Amino acid sequence: MSESNLYRSLMRCPVCFSRDTDVLMINTGNEFHYCPKCSFQGMESEIRGMYRDIQKKFHNMGKRFTLEDQRAL
Amino acid sequence: MMLFNIFHRPGAGAHYDIYRQQQELAHQLGLKTTIFLYYSDLFDPRAIADAIRDRDTYGDEISLALHNLTGPGITEISNGQIALWLLDRERKEQILARMIGKFAEVFGANPTSIGSYHLDSSCLEILRRLAPEARTVIGGCFEEGVRVFHGCNHSWYLFNEGMPWNPWYPSKTHGLRPARDEEDASGVVAVPHLVRDMSLAFEGRNDFWASHPPNVIRGMGNDATFCPYDLNLVDQYRMQAEWNGGYSYYNTFVSPSWLDWNHNSEYPPEVAWELYRKFLTYMASLKKDGQLEDLTLSAYGERHRQIRPVGHDEVYLAKELLYGSGKHYFWFVDPAYRVTIDATQGGSIGDLRPYAGQAPVATGPDTPHRDIGSYPYLIQSQHRAGNAHHCYDGARTTLLIKHGEQTLDLCNFRAKVASVARADGKVKIALTPVRFSFSDGVSGDLTTRYEFGNGTITVCRELSGLPAQADLELIEYFKGAPGRTEYPEDLHGIVLEANGSSPVHRDFDYSGQWSEAPGATEVAALIPHVRTRLSLQSGSAVSGRVHAGHLFSPYFTLQLAHRLIGNGTTCTCLNLTSIAA
Repeated sequence: MSESNLYRSLMRCPVCFSRDTDVLMINTGNEFHYCPKCSFQGMESEIRGMYRDIQKKFHNMGKRFTLEDQRAL
Repeated sequence: MMLFNIFHRPGAGAHYDIYRQQQELAHQLGLKTTIFLYYSDLFDPRAIADAIRDRDTYGDEISLALHNLTGPGITEISNGQIALWLLDRERKEQILARMIGKFAEVFGANPTSIGSYHLDSSCLEILRRLAPEARTVIGGCFEEGVRVFHGCNHSWYLFNEGMPWNPWYPSKTHGLRPARDEEDASGVVAVPHLVRDMSLAFEGRNDFWASHPPNVIRGMGNDATFCPYDLNLVDQYRMQAEWNGGYSYYNTFVSPSWLDWNHNSEYPPEVAWELYRKFLTYMASLKKDGQLEDLTLSAYGERHRQIRPVGHDEVYLAKELLYGSGKHYFWFVDPAYRVTIDATQGGSIGDLRPYAGQAPVATGPDTPHRDIGSYPYLIQSQHRAGNAHHCYDGARTTLLIKHGEQTLDLCNFRAKVASVARADGKVKIALTPVRFSFSDGVSGDLTTRYEFGNGTITVCRELSGLPAQADLELIEYFKGAPGRTEYPEDLHGIVLEANGSSPVHRDFDYSGQWSEAPGATEVAALIPHVRTRLSLQSGSAVSGRVHAGHLFSPYFTLQLAHRLIGNGTTCTCLNLTSIAA
């Protein structure tokens, strides 16, 4: 795996992603990112927290439904 | 039994090593792969030697990938266009001839299978002529249409909607339409590029929710290396064998870039690797248990010919897995139509593709369709509003239940698919009953049953629990428009018809006017855009209405009414028949 890959330090905009749009933010080099498409800007830790918020809608994200389980769903 | 294809392709630079690790993982698990080589790989002695070794050692297939139109003698023809189906016919032929010729030069024979994100009718025709040995193809990305276009601003544009979700026989005139018979068939078996979540692929970004673990990371459906969804989707596909002759189909196609740092994930590559490993390990365990057979793409194509005759139908019962919504969708496809029943909207039709009209489409700058290779819809409730929520409704069907001055809309009642069965040469489903009440206290239960097949969708409404004197009007309602994207098309040319004591025959004129048809037992629309006549027909109906929507609501609407006193059942046929172009 390439350690020098450009994408190591890039993140997607959580505001655009919540609209189902992938937009790579621009990393200014100090864990601060801004979006070239919308007005959102923030630190990496804040962005990761927003990703968690996006996932809250997936109520069954941690559940395994086997074939038998799914027949009964 | 699940039939399973693994597709791998080399990457450039460090990604070549990742591709080799993918191959190694599959082989360690005892699984066969199909290796897709790009044209440019055919000039790389290492890629050729490794592919030959894997073929000879593990039984893998070496196939040709059509994307990324670069390499000696091709770059100057494609001029930066990476998608073959978006070139004009002359360039498609020039490039395919070079690619197939080089493949044959390297391997001593034409490829037996071909991979593309989409193959339009002209690409298929050229391919069959230049490489008749290529009998199996990856022929399209299911529903990667305007939703993905909107979702992937700045990156991904593939208007590819209205195709079967499982392997099919593409017709000669539209690569996404399943052939009616051998004469109509283009000669290949096509499989989809990935299989999709048939609930979430309908509602939104289907690239997220597919047989591709790193794509699920892209959709944020995982918690680091914990992602039961990947295996849940496999098992939902396995469930479909019950209604499809004992067989289900699955494939995966993860490129090396997805297993490195990439723009679709904020996790380190180890996470994608671990999820890919877990997924393939699960498939290997199914194989060990006798529940799965791994095949090369060509071997699958030949198996398909044995287990699915041309003209076959296919069903899919989708149960939403990620949100926990409890939603059910039911899908049916055959050479006459593809339909999606939205059980959560009372069993309304959420999507309808009228294959019966055999609308021809080829893509490229030399065609009127340009980049839009979709099979046109008559209903697409996601793109075209569907059930009303704040203003007018859009494309959909429903049942309106009238009693006194009050009208209930079945779209507002949630149901599930209670049963799926095959009988009398048809597919039959029943929904769970819904309880309805009017403001004067009259209430009852309504059970909807559908039958699919032979160009007709029959919907029966069984009412029970009503007072003996309850006077109800049941109105079957169809609102639709021919279209390919979220935007309306010109509806001029549509003709609206009804029989009865005052027959109706009028041109669609955007007037917003209804035409009443007392005594009608059939209402219909002739839609030249899709070469189709669509009708609602019932011998026990008492009246009909047809409507030409205005420009603020550009749809045609058909209504067919029954009158019912107390309990009873009504049945209505939605017929799709071909009309001359």
